[in-house]
Amino acid sequence: MTTQDSSQTQVNSVTKMQAGHESSGPDVVVQELKPASKESSHNVSEHEIVLIGASLEKNISLPSPTKVELICKLDENSNLKNPQVTWKKGSETISHTSKTQNSWAIQVTVSDSSQLGSYTCILKADKEITATFHLQVPKLEGKEKPIITYQGDRAVMVCKTEYEPKAWTWYMTNGTELAPIDKILHTDKFQIKRPSANVNRLEIFKLTKEDRGVYWCEASFELGNSLMRFELKVLSIAAPLKPFIAIVAEVAILVTTIVLYEVYSKKRGKGGKKEFDQIEQL
Amino acid sequence: MPAPAEAGRAPGPPDGGWGWVVVFGAFVSIGFAYAFPKGLAIFFKEIQDFFGTSYSEIAWVSSIMLATTYGAGPISSILVNRYGSRPVVMFGGLLCGVGMISAAFCTSILQLYICVGFITGFGLALNLQPSVIIIGKYFLKRRPIANGLAMAGSPVMLCTLAPLNQFLFDNFGWRGSFLILGAILLNCCVAGALFRPIGAGTAPVKTQVSKEEKDALKEKVIEDGPMEKKLEEEEGKDCFEKVNQYLDFSLFKHRGFLIYLIGNVLMFLGFFAPIVFLAPYAKHTGIDEYSAAFLLSILAIVDMVARPATGIVANSRWVRPRIQYFFSFAIAFNGACHLLCPLASGYTGLIVYSSFFGLAFGMVCAMLFETLMDLVGAARFTSAVGLVTIAECCTILLGPPIGGILIDTFGDYKYMFIKCGAVMVLAGTFLFIMNYYNYRMLAKEEKKRKIKEEDPKSVRTENEGKINWNKDSIQDGPELEPLREKREGVKKEMNGTNEV
Repeated sequence: MTTQDSSQTQVNSVTKMQAGHESSGPDVVVQELKPASKESSHNVSEHEIVLIGASLEKNISLPSPTKVELICKLDENSNLKNPQVTWKKGSETISHTSKTQNSWAIQVTVSDSSQLGSYTCILKADKEITATFHLQVPKLEGKEKPIITYQGDRAVMVCKTEYEPKAWTWYMTNGTELAPIDKILHTDKFQIKRPSANVNRLEIFKLTKEDRGVYWCEASFELGNSLMRFELKVLSIAAPLKPFIAIVAEVAILVTTIVLYEVYSKKRGKGGKKEFDQIEQL
Repeated sequence: MPAPAEAGRAPGPPDGGWGWVVVFGAFVSIGFAYAFPKGLAIFFKEIQDFFGTSYSEIAWVSSIMLATTYGAGPISSILVNRYGSRPVVMFGGLLCGVGMISAAFCTSILQLYICVGFITGFGLALNLQPSVIIIGKYFLKRRPIANGLAMAGSPVMLCTLAPLNQFLFDNFGWRGSFLILGAILLNCCVAGALFRPIGAGTAPVKTQVSKEEKDALKEKVIEDGPMEKKLEEEEGKDCFEKVNQYLDFSLFKHRGFLIYLIGNVLMFLGFFAPIVFLAPYAKHTGIDEYSAAFLLSILAIVDMVARPATGIVANSRWVRPRIQYFFSFAIAFNGACHLLCPLASGYTGLIVYSSFFGLAFGMVCAMLFETLMDLVGAARFTSAVGLVTIAECCTILLGPPIGGILIDTFGDYKYMFIKCGAVMVLAGTFLFIMNYYNYRMLAKEEKKRKIKEEDPKSVRTENEGKINWNKDSIQDGPELEPLREKREGVKKEMNGTNEV
């Protein structure tokens, strides 16, 4: 029954795939119709969550279509005994296999973005604990905090990811919508570099106050797109100049005070010392 | 006649009064010199992204800065010998400020190397050496405490600079932060302004010579007059002696100095690497980033307390005469900590390690310059510190990279800890044995000298000198060297104290 179900889902996914991707169709059909458990031991990546007492979550990044096996394992030290296990995606129940006495698994074939999402295994005995796998496109790394730059300087935004995407695009927020940057800015105002496959750099030159705002970096993967937000702040040179002048003034005042105090105390000391020497002579 | 007795009695650095203000100035100055390069690390990621360079290219900025700060030691010493501490520190502060301000406008990584690496590094070198030197001029009896307090500036400044740098970076970006940090470094000029010149030998000079002066010039007592006359006489010295006047190379014949040099050069091979790799090691064992950073905070806090505390302990009656042994023990203790680190299990183990490491690190740092002063005396310390820092420069720079190579080759941090621990235990043992030998030789020389000097007057002054010092129980050993030198010749004093 289990294998029937899984092959059913596979056939579904195959039909979906055939509709959209004719070029890779035939090969995929041949592959998918075989029983999952046999050949997939080479290509399937396993992801496991071990539960003891509390609910846990795990993020799994998938850059391209693949097959994953999600395993829910109950630790021996857990209080839960002989739970009832259900796997769900959203509201839809998925049938699972029992790998060992204390672990249960499902196989998911991710061929397009509809198979991404959160898969939960629910263990119910006297209490209920869950383990959730979030299947998603790879996340991007950037800067969460605003990037501070100055007028006339250049801004650099670096977008990184774990896996190589198909394409990179940069957007600027124009009002409420995102517009590609090459459509808005002049070519000598910005430059996009790709120092390596996983890294993309946007450089904006001759900054002005109008350049501040939110920029987006988008990496296109086979299974979908991923966005990263960058905030650019453009300050004028006067901004750090104020504390700078304040500190320089403080230094000047302190040095002058110290020197003046020393001159003053020397004058006092000289008068007193003369008296002392004269007393000594006596 | 009061004159000879006054000449014979320890002229005494003030050991207090304005000296404590000088300690505060040295606290600020030393703090910047040690903590500033470490505090800059926060900006490196952003600068790396901005210029599109690799991590190692950015790390060069730090290395150049450190190398210049230690390597420019002799230049610093020469300048202090010539001009005194105050002008050198003020110029150093100015240089640091200029370096960082110009760094704010840099457009390439090479310019950063020059502005941040060389110029600021050189400025910090001009801050570090004179601050340590002037403590030796203001303190003798309470010198270990003064040294401990001044060296405590390093962890305090680090704890202040780290969050400050983060705040500046979040609000002004790296360029604005460098500009403001340049202004903050100008505060070293303030610290320098506090370094009122004082000659360790001015007192006997005045009392000996001013008597003659008074006979000749009646009521005219110019404070600097006698000294100026002596300086003029020295213009006609030959070249070698002139060089020696600025940088005392004869120190290389000094037994104590050589022992200190070899021991310290060895020690620095394993001194800084554990700090550099503590956070990465913690992350490697699965500890999260913030807890790993917290380990360094614990280290800094324990360090902060350990330094003045060590100063007080080192000043006590029982330790001061045998301070070299205490120093060797501190180094060996440090090494033992590192050797035991791989046994530390889990986060609690690492916290314990960090605390002991902080304690050991503070102990060694507090006494680093005190022991050198103790061995060579305040007069020759100026040159000694310059020569020592340039020798240490090489091993300081080599330490972390060697540790890094060990980690990369074996894939395990424990070999780096074992290497550091072994090197430091070795250095500590070496210093312990050699100082035992040194103490014995000094005792022998002392006896010989007493037998030679049949002159009852000198014996009396010597005994007077001893009585003064017995108060703090500095019975025998290196402490008497500075006193002996002062009595032997006014000219020798000139070498170390050309402060007018």
